[in-house]
Amino acid sequence: MEILVCVKRVPDTSENEIEINKDGSDIERDDLVYSVNEWDNYAVEEAIQIRDNVGGSVTVVSVGDEDAEEVVRREMAMGADKGILLSDNAFEGSDGRGIANILKAEVEKGKYDLVLTGAQADDGAGQVGGMLAAMLDWPYASLVNSLEVVDDKTIKVGREIAGGNLEMNEIDLPCVLSIQTGINEPRYVGIRGIRKVASIDIPVHGAGDLGITPESVGESGAKVKRIDYFTPELGEGAEILEGSTDEIIEKLIELLKAKGGIK
Amino acid sequence: MAQFIADRRDIEFVLHEQLQVEKLSKHERFAEFNKKTVDMIVNEARNLAVKEILPTQLLGDQEGCKFENGKVTVPESFHRAYEIIKEGEWVAMPESLEWGGQGMPMVVSLAASDYLVGANYAFMMYPGLTQGAGKLIEAFGTDKQKELFLKKMFTGEWTGTMLLTEPEAGSDVGALTTSAVKNSDGTYSISGSKIFISSGEHDLAENIIHPVLARIEGAPAGTKGISLFLVPKIWVNDDGSLGEFNDVVCTGIEEKMGIHGNVTCSISLGGKGECKGTLLGEENKGMRAMFLMMNEARLLVGLQGFTCASTAYMYAVNYARQRLQGKHLLKMRDENAPSVPIIQHPDVRRQLITMKAYVEGMRSLIYYVGMCEDNVKVEKSAKEKEKYQGIIDVLIPIAKGYVTDKAFEVCNHGLQIYGGYGYIKEYPLEQLVRDCRITMIYEGTNGIQAMDLLGRKLGLNKGKPVMDLLGEMQASIAAAREIEDLKELADLVQEAVNKLGEVGLHMGASAMSPDVMKAFAFAYPFMEVTGDIVMAWMLLWRATVAAHKLEKGARKKDAAFYEGQLKSAEFFVHSILPTTMGKCNAILTTNGAAVEIMEDSFGG
Repeated sequence: MEILVCVKRVPDTSENEIEINKDGSDIERDDLVYSVNEWDNYAVEEAIQIRDNVGGSVTVVSVGDEDAEEVVRREMAMGADKGILLSDNAFEGSDGRGIANILKAEVEKGKYDLVLTGAQADDGAGQVGGMLAAMLDWPYASLVNSLEVVDDKTIKVGREIAGGNLEMNEIDLPCVLSIQTGINEPRYVGIRGIRKVASIDIPVHGAGDLGITPESVGESGAKVKRIDYFTPELGEGAEILEGSTDEIIEKLIELLKAKGGIK
Repeated sequence: MAQFIADRRDIEFVLHEQLQVEKLSKHERFAEFNKKTVDMIVNEARNLAVKEILPTQLLGDQEGCKFENGKVTVPESFHRAYEIIKEGEWVAMPESLEWGGQGMPMVVSLAASDYLVGANYAFMMYPGLTQGAGKLIEAFGTDKQKELFLKKMFTGEWTGTMLLTEPEAGSDVGALTTSAVKNSDGTYSISGSKIFISSGEHDLAENIIHPVLARIEGAPAGTKGISLFLVPKIWVNDDGSLGEFNDVVCTGIEEKMGIHGNVTCSISLGGKGECKGTLLGEENKGMRAMFLMMNEARLLVGLQGFTCASTAYMYAVNYARQRLQGKHLLKMRDENAPSVPIIQHPDVRRQLITMKAYVEGMRSLIYYVGMCEDNVKVEKSAKEKEKYQGIIDVLIPIAKGYVTDKAFEVCNHGLQIYGGYGYIKEYPLEQLVRDCRITMIYEGTNGIQAMDLLGRKLGLNKGKPVMDLLGEMQASIAAAREIEDLKELADLVQEAVNKLGEVGLHMGASAMSPDVMKAFAFAYPFMEVTGDIVMAWMLLWRATVAAHKLEKGARKKDAAFYEGQLKSAEFFVHSILPTTMGKCNAILTTNGAAVEIMEDSFGG
């Protein structure tokens, strides 16, 4: 099975204190530590497992600037066979639809049976997978938390539904799936994997290679524009408990008792 | 966001800006270790350390190792962590590819270990000792021994130990009594009792390979009659399959002050007369083999102590930023003044900058020694190889003895910053202080390290290694002098280096004179002042790099980091180095009270 996994380089929320920039248009991006979006790791792991079970290959693709190459390489060290970076000045400032457009062009250059994305990104809106499927006119399932290959035309996927329920679906290939965390346990990258990809050249495809008119993507093509970015003020009724761990626990228990949460 | 274990920026700084490890990739041997690869290795080590190993640190301390019916079990959480270390092939990073290692530069493996060991060094001793034992086999084993054992060890499938110590043979290894008798098939029957064996018995791996020091029947007394043997827990047949249990019995485990997760065993060899081993290297050359391995083992113990200090600093600085207590000193009389984070109090800042300066200096020193090891491997001329080897030899007692002493002090400062909370088990400093303490004792006590510096290293090759080291220091000082703002610091470090030269000459002469006893009573202070001056050198070197970066313009966070480098150097040179100069004067006086006092006068 030929699988394409879309991955994104995001600020690592466990490593950074995220601050909003002076003009309130974005976060302060200087000096941030970046890593691969957590959800995407699960998608790559799932793809590697499918390949190991039924054969085929896994390609990792990312839309981003030259620094995004490091996450593509990292996911290749994890076990993906190929990597592609989609990078062009014209791509900067794309909205979700623009990103989906760029990815669609890359998908059409290959012969993929399955395209996986993470269910969402730390800094995203969870929209690219669905849009990409619609643009390709491929079937789509979101929030996938189990996956089983039936044959070379069909797969079976489990989806997480609110209320703790699950549903199972059969989907025709080719299709797009957005993968939920918990579907597997992503492997750690070992040294052998790193050494294997150390000197591999990762191809970079720009607008020209993909046959995309620059105006259709990037800032000029974006129909969704961010107009403000801020931390909301604390609302009424919210209370941050302060003190040592023991003090916080004590206060929390008092509160829960007072409000009838525990008896 | 609070960082754990080690400051990511500082590791990057030492690797790429101070030591410029990428230079190593110009040599064929390390060609694949370009900056991208190095960064990925260090990042993944960090990822693994923070997510999988750090959570085992407290669990390992609380649960400890258990000894029941002759079996040892390690803390439950160690099993998963060990599997991940094995799968990722982190066991033998700098070892040869041929035998399952990763052929990595030592300096890069030290950076990865900065995180892995820092996350839980009691746990990392299982793979760490395995690597060390494997190295012995690689250096001294026959092809057959390598074939049977090495790959399984470097890949972590089997683990390794080192059986030296006996009840009456601790610092004096030459007093050991474990015996070996040659059998007709070429193997040796081993019998004796060993104690204090780290990772000596456990349930992490199927087999445990013990390099054992023993005396062949009729061999000379003392260190000249010691041979090294390879004794597996389960005998390994010629075809590599496992044979019978080899009469290697754990008779008990120690209850220790710290590193509860790493088991410390008493081991009886051949209690039933059925323990066999094969000779590793040549008869009676066991101590020579030990010496060859000693530098690396001591560097790793230095790293263990150091990572406790690094972790302690990370915890302490984050705690000091969050903990509100007391008013700002300048608003003491204002009853309505709010409590401030304790990082604003001068005495807390003094402790924090002390910790910071030592942690930075020690990281640079340890990585630098690793880089020298790599240079020995890649340098083409014998002269250069010899130069780097000499510098390593001189710096090892500092990287072990001085570093672990100061690491313990740093942990202590960290505990103090936590106040009463530092003393209770709910907070992490109490464990770090306990865990760190053993690093000052094992792998040659720090007193032994000081004697090594004075007795062996100072006069090595007629003092050339010491002169080479001083030459490296001079080069850094000259580079610092080029920067206007660092001139004063450079001059003060120069004075200290000159003083060290004077002290070195004096100590060398005293050790060869009738005053030898007095000289050795000052071996330890000599190691301490040497270490202080090495710290000053490293911090000045860092400040020089940082000053250049600031001059070129740096981003906000980077600028704060570089300014921090200048302050570490300034603090150390102005606040610690003056006491070093005083200690140098005390050494030059070489007062004899310590050796002249009558034993009865000690009282008690």
